[in-house]
Amino acid sequence: MKRLLYILMLLAAVATRVEAQNPGWPVPDDQKGKICLVKFTPDMVKGGEAIYTKNCQSCHGLPAKKNFAAITPSPGDLSEPKAGTQKDGELFYRITTGKVPMPEFRNILTEDERWNVIAYLRTFHKGYVQPDPEKMAGTAGKRIKLSMTYDTLKKRIMVKAVELSKEGTKPAKGAEIMIFVQRYFGAMQLTDPKPTSESGYAGFDWPQDLPGDKAGNIIVSARVNDPTGSLQEAVVSDTLAIGVPTNKPALTDTRAMWSVSSKAPIWMILTYTLAVLVVWYFIIYIILSVLDIRKIKQA
Amino acid sequence: MDLIISDLSHHIRLNKGFFLWMGFLTLAFLACLFAYIQQLKYGLGVAGVRDYISWGLYISNFVFFVASSLIGMLISAVLGLIGMKWVHPITRIAETIAVAFAAVAGLVIVMDMGRPERLAYVFLYARFQSPILWDVTVITTYFVISLLLLLLPMIPDMAVLYKRFANLPSWLKPVYKVMSLNWSDHPEQNRIIHRSIYILLILIIPAALSIHTVTSWLFALTVRPGWDSTIFGPYFVSGAFVAGSAAVIIAMFFFRKNYKLQDYLTDLHFNNMGKVLVLVAFVYLYFNINEYLVPGYKLKRADAVHLRELMSGHFALMFWLVQVGGLLIPLILLLFRRMRKPLPLTMISVVVLIAAWFKRYLIVVPTMSHPFLPIQHVPENFKVYTPTIIEVAITLLSFILVLMIITLISKFFPVIPLVETAKDKGLDPLKSIQS
Repeated sequence: MKRLLYILMLLAAVATRVEAQNPGWPVPDDQKGKICLVKFTPDMVKGGEAIYTKNCQSCHGLPAKKNFAAITPSPGDLSEPKAGTQKDGELFYRITTGKVPMPEFRNILTEDERWNVIAYLRTFHKGYVQPDPEKMAGTAGKRIKLSMTYDTLKKRIMVKAVELSKEGTKPAKGAEIMIFVQRYFGAMQLTDPKPTSESGYAGFDWPQDLPGDKAGNIIVSARVNDPTGSLQEAVVSDTLAIGVPTNKPALTDTRAMWSVSSKAPIWMILTYTLAVLVVWYFIIYIILSVLDIRKIKQA
Repeated sequence: MDLIISDLSHHIRLNKGFFLWMGFLTLAFLACLFAYIQQLKYGLGVAGVRDYISWGLYISNFVFFVASSLIGMLISAVLGLIGMKWVHPITRIAETIAVAFAAVAGLVIVMDMGRPERLAYVFLYARFQSPILWDVTVITTYFVISLLLLLLPMIPDMAVLYKRFANLPSWLKPVYKVMSLNWSDHPEQNRIIHRSIYILLILIIPAALSIHTVTSWLFALTVRPGWDSTIFGPYFVSGAFVAGSAAVIIAMFFFRKNYKLQDYLTDLHFNNMGKVLVLVAFVYLYFNINEYLVPGYKLKRADAVHLRELMSGHFALMFWLVQVGGLLIPLILLLFRRMRKPLPLTMISVVVLIAAWFKRYLIVVPTMSHPFLPIQHVPENFKVYTPTIIEVAITLLSFILVLMIITLISKFFPVIPLVETAKDKGLDPLKSIQS
């Protein structure tokens, strides 16, 4: 069984390689149909614009302004038909997975945030009609709800997965859970994914040396590994005081070479100012005394 | 005495040659100004500089200008203070060159700015930690000291010429009168002027060493191959003396010929300047060997790429022409007395000066063309730097400005210190004006 899995993984790796070499950047068929499960709202568009300017604008430029970066392959203007004619699922897949040199946003933007970006881009696509989420609800797949607790005795993160359906709730067995901690840019995955047990639980030993903020807070999130995208996004996120309290001043808080002028090292300010004062004292002294020459008359 | 006055001042007049020369300079200036207006209008994109190689002709030229201006300090201060009498006739030429190059060096930086109207931000948001602030400070200071060293020794000359030079153009008279500061050779006046010049001569030594050391730090305070060097300060300073000496020799030759100063700028002066050039070229050669041999022996990865580009790669032809043709061969030639005669010495100096300019290019550009992070996904013209015509014209603009400044100073004031020369010959020109 394990050997079969390896062979499958190898095949998958080869397949992705072939795919990466394909300049067309194909999207798997089962991803093309993915849609946003709510109607785009002005709030989503607004949120998407903020995310866009932070994450996308540096290469793609502002939509319809054609001021994208001059790099190869060309990122292009996303208001153009090349992007406009793509299905929501295709855009979503491409934002999610990226393709060198475009980064993958899988762990940087949440699904909601990725949909907001699409909502924003769609405002530039004339004639675009959003597929009705109500009618497509059948394809939305299972819904899984996660909750997360920290077991202080065993020093473990416990993630509980519950499957929601019309009949009620039941523990989700075998859902692959991944946990992440928030860092400056994106999230860092901790350990390998683990499937939930019979009772819907997955436990992760918590490393005791992760730095937190002053109070030791760390933002931990868990989500179900869903490479096929068949689930409605199942994520839980929480701020837990389980890191090592770290009170390092930020690099720009102290006096340093790299800080702003008001935070320059004292010795540097003194050396510079003193040197300038001494030299210019002499220069001004000389200019003034030379001007005095005019007043001296031969007796 | 009258002979000295007429010898040293007969060129102070508006003649046809002057108008022709200045007219030519002005036309060329306007043509190049047009190029700069293009750059103002369309941005730095009209120059060949791009994201990776963002320092090209302009910054190379800036380093060259700062280098050439350094000679004022070597001639007036170092040689003057240790009592070398033969430098007296050359000091004003050296100071003129220093003032002209230092004045334009600042403008060259403005030419490299994409948004020159934001120049004030350099000062408003200056950081004490930034070598750019230090550079601005020391160049301004050096310029002021050089200007004072040009003007102060002129005060007695102005007084003598105002009173005794009959052919002084009338429109220049008020200028001379103001500049002479009512000089009457009073002992107190002499005391003030001597003390002031003495202080300035001492002050200019650290100032001059700083301007080129700080300019070298603009490069050496980074970790990039070819710049990450602890000897960059003295390396630049010694290179500056080579460029400056060559510039002074060329200027001496032209003034001697055009202003008929054969009796004052003699073969002895050329011979001695040739020896100065040999000395500084040897020092520079020594630093060159250090600068290339030490990283070349260790061949750290990035250094290896850099040195290969220089010695056998893209820049090899320029590199060897500059190092062998522009430094080593002139150095050997100048060891022979015959080569230190005015004409051959001047020709060699021209080669040295041109090589000195290209040397700055070799210091600035190759390092930028291979950064630590590979250059990828960019158009071809981001990878290889090729100066554009507009860029060349703007660079010429700075040279035209330097020539204009040198022309104006040398044309309307005596090129050779008059009173000092007379005193060296045992005459006292000031007696006649004591009244």
